[in-house]
Amino acid sequence: MWAEKYRPKTLDGMVDQKEIVERLRSFVKSRNVSHCIFAGPPGTGKTTAALCLARDLYGDAYRGHIMELNASDERGINVVRETVKTFARVRSIGEIPFKIMVLDESDNMTSDAQQALRRTMERYTETCRFILIANYSGKIIEPIQSRCAPFRFTYLPRKDHDQHLRLIAEKENLNLLDDGLDAIFEVCGGDLRRAINTLQAAASLNRPIDAKVIYSIAGRAHPADVRKMIETAMGGNFLEARKQLRDMIQKYGVAGSDIIRQIHTEIFRSTVPEPWKLKLADIAGEIDYRLVEGADEEVQLSALLARLVEAGYELRETR
Amino acid sequence: MCAAWTLKHKPKSLRDVVGNKETIRKFVDWVKSWEGGIPKNRAAFLYGPPGIGKTVTVEALANDFHMELVEKNASDYRTEEAIKRFAGLASQYGSLFGGKRIILLDELDGLTGTADKGGVKATIEIVKTAQCPVVLIANNAYNPRFSTLRNYCILIEFKKPPAGEVMKHLKRICLREGIQVEEDALKFIARRSEGDVRSAVNDFQALAQGKKKLTYDDVLWLGYRDRQETIFAVLRMIIYSKTCEGAKRAVRMADVDLDMLFQWIYENVPAHLTDPHDLASAMDALSMADVYRGRIRRTRDWSFMRYIIDFMTAGVAMARVNTKPSGWIPFKFPQRIRMLSRSKAERAMQLSIGYKIKRKCHVSAVRASKDILPYLRIIFKNNADMAAGLAKWLDLDLRMVEYLAGSKKKSKDIIELLS
Repeated sequence: MWAEKYRPKTLDGMVDQKEIVERLRSFVKSRNVSHCIFAGPPGTGKTTAALCLARDLYGDAYRGHIMELNASDERGINVVRETVKTFARVRSIGEIPFKIMVLDESDNMTSDAQQALRRTMERYTETCRFILIANYSGKIIEPIQSRCAPFRFTYLPRKDHDQHLRLIAEKENLNLLDDGLDAIFEVCGGDLRRAINTLQAAASLNRPIDAKVIYSIAGRAHPADVRKMIETAMGGNFLEARKQLRDMIQKYGVAGSDIIRQIHTEIFRSTVPEPWKLKLADIAGEIDYRLVEGADEEVQLSALLARLVEAGYELRETR
Repeated sequence: MCAAWTLKHKPKSLRDVVGNKETIRKFVDWVKSWEGGIPKNRAAFLYGPPGIGKTVTVEALANDFHMELVEKNASDYRTEEAIKRFAGLASQYGSLFGGKRIILLDELDGLTGTADKGGVKATIEIVKTAQCPVVLIANNAYNPRFSTLRNYCILIEFKKPPAGEVMKHLKRICLREGIQVEEDALKFIARRSEGDVRSAVNDFQALAQGKKKLTYDDVLWLGYRDRQETIFAVLRMIIYSKTCEGAKRAVRMADVDLDMLFQWIYENVPAHLTDPHDLASAMDALSMADVYRGRIRRTRDWSFMRYIIDFMTAGVAMARVNTKPSGWIPFKFPQRIRMLSRSKAERAMQLSIGYKIKRKCHVSAVRASKDILPYLRIIFKNNADMAAGLAKWLDLDLRMVEYLAGSKKKSKDIIELLS
């Protein structure tokens, strides 16, 4: 996959996040790393930064000094108790006395596991430094946050985004047209991993890559058309909207939290009267909270759809 | 005057039997085949849901063909002993009175293990040696207990007649009883019976007997008081209850799993609460019920169950403020349960590909299966070269390649490139 092939190997090769890269370089220079939280939206280089840091620090044999764990796959407390501890307490051989533990998608860790992690971090600081990677640092418990240096990653600016994609296009001999590049940015919104995946899928068609190609790829890759679902609901067709929701969750495996995040974004992009946007956001917020507490994502989200049906109805009444 | 209409207006001739025309023809052909000697199958096994005319068909046939009908059903003892005694009758085609004989063993589902010991075995013996047509009737011919018996029978399936056919039958009764009934009312009764003609006639009698006229409003109430044991009745009670207590009582009557009942309610609420405000508050109640489900999961404290029941029953019932009752709306089987079992295998496949991606791409398998897999799918469908390269790099197995390519044909190109 090109996203892997063109993943920067060293901090110098990183496309953006200049400030962050600068601070990480100082870690390398001083041969010391503090516990870190890398927070930011997907595809902005968090994992890459962690890997680059390790490589710059330990050299090409960096693999022996770091461990990557993914909280989405192994989110329970037992992982912290066993895997993490076992790795953390053994001293690293070599010039640098500590190892690095990368906990990816750590906002998906259960709070029990986070509590257990907190003590592990403290106890084994000598032998192991932790890099927690998350989309939202808010989902990481306070005591851990206070032990970590925060790094906030932001979406790539347009210039850097374009530069990186053009580089790939050149190396892979692609005919990437300007409007195709525009479309990638619009569809992926600066999420570089997604942008590269989109580019590669577009390249598989063996055609000049223009906006039309990109839109069709994006449509096929993510049938989770939240906007359409909202429109269906607000138009009054609850059953159809619920069916679309069900397809997203069951057929395409979209997570409930992703759907509600997109709904929230779409609310403010929609054409409903301004005061209504806040009302709808309030509804979304309530359901978002219940999603965490509840047991069944579809039930929660379809309660939200029913509220949208109601809102659509009230809107038509008042007009 | 007080006779049950199901008996009083029972079809006397095959012509009048409701629905199942093709099925009946098949059955008649089999009976007629006896004229030319003993056919391959000496018994016909009629099966299908209750109240759709299996027994009536046999009776009407005997009547039309002037045959002597010898019948045994669940109310008789059917031990091996009792059935053998009965067997003598089956040993000759002609009856004492010169007509022909047909033997009916009804309600075979009722052959219970101990009381009717050996009943199935004895039935098989009769069928093997019968000299006249033997008809067996059961709801479920595929009960394992009948597996041997089935080999000796011609299987004839009775299906639920469509509402239109049931209506025709009800109209005939109206004429005979001299009752004026609104078309919509008949339709309501016919649809609600879901093909069970017997229960439709019973319902109709309960509502119409002694009246000169029956209106749509008269029958609407039928929906509220019904056989308690069925899930439909429970649903109806919950969705149409006017009091909290009434809705909650439904759960105590329900012999269904609470989770399953929740799914039924969740599936059917939108069709029955069409007003947007009502729907929103009903769905909100279900959402709260689900929150309590989550709380039980987290705390393992099952005493929260009572709140789940409150929200999923009373919460739904109280949501009805503006929606008017609008006639017969059928209850639907929860679609998502159907879908869930279907998509389970697919999700397992997606996740296993996710794990392959994870090994190379520094993402979780969960996220890979959601974020990256869709692009792979596009590539595998369009570009065998690129796909083969990726398949090798990710170390995908053949099943995964086939899944991503979407068809055997496309995956063949990729697999050829790989080898």
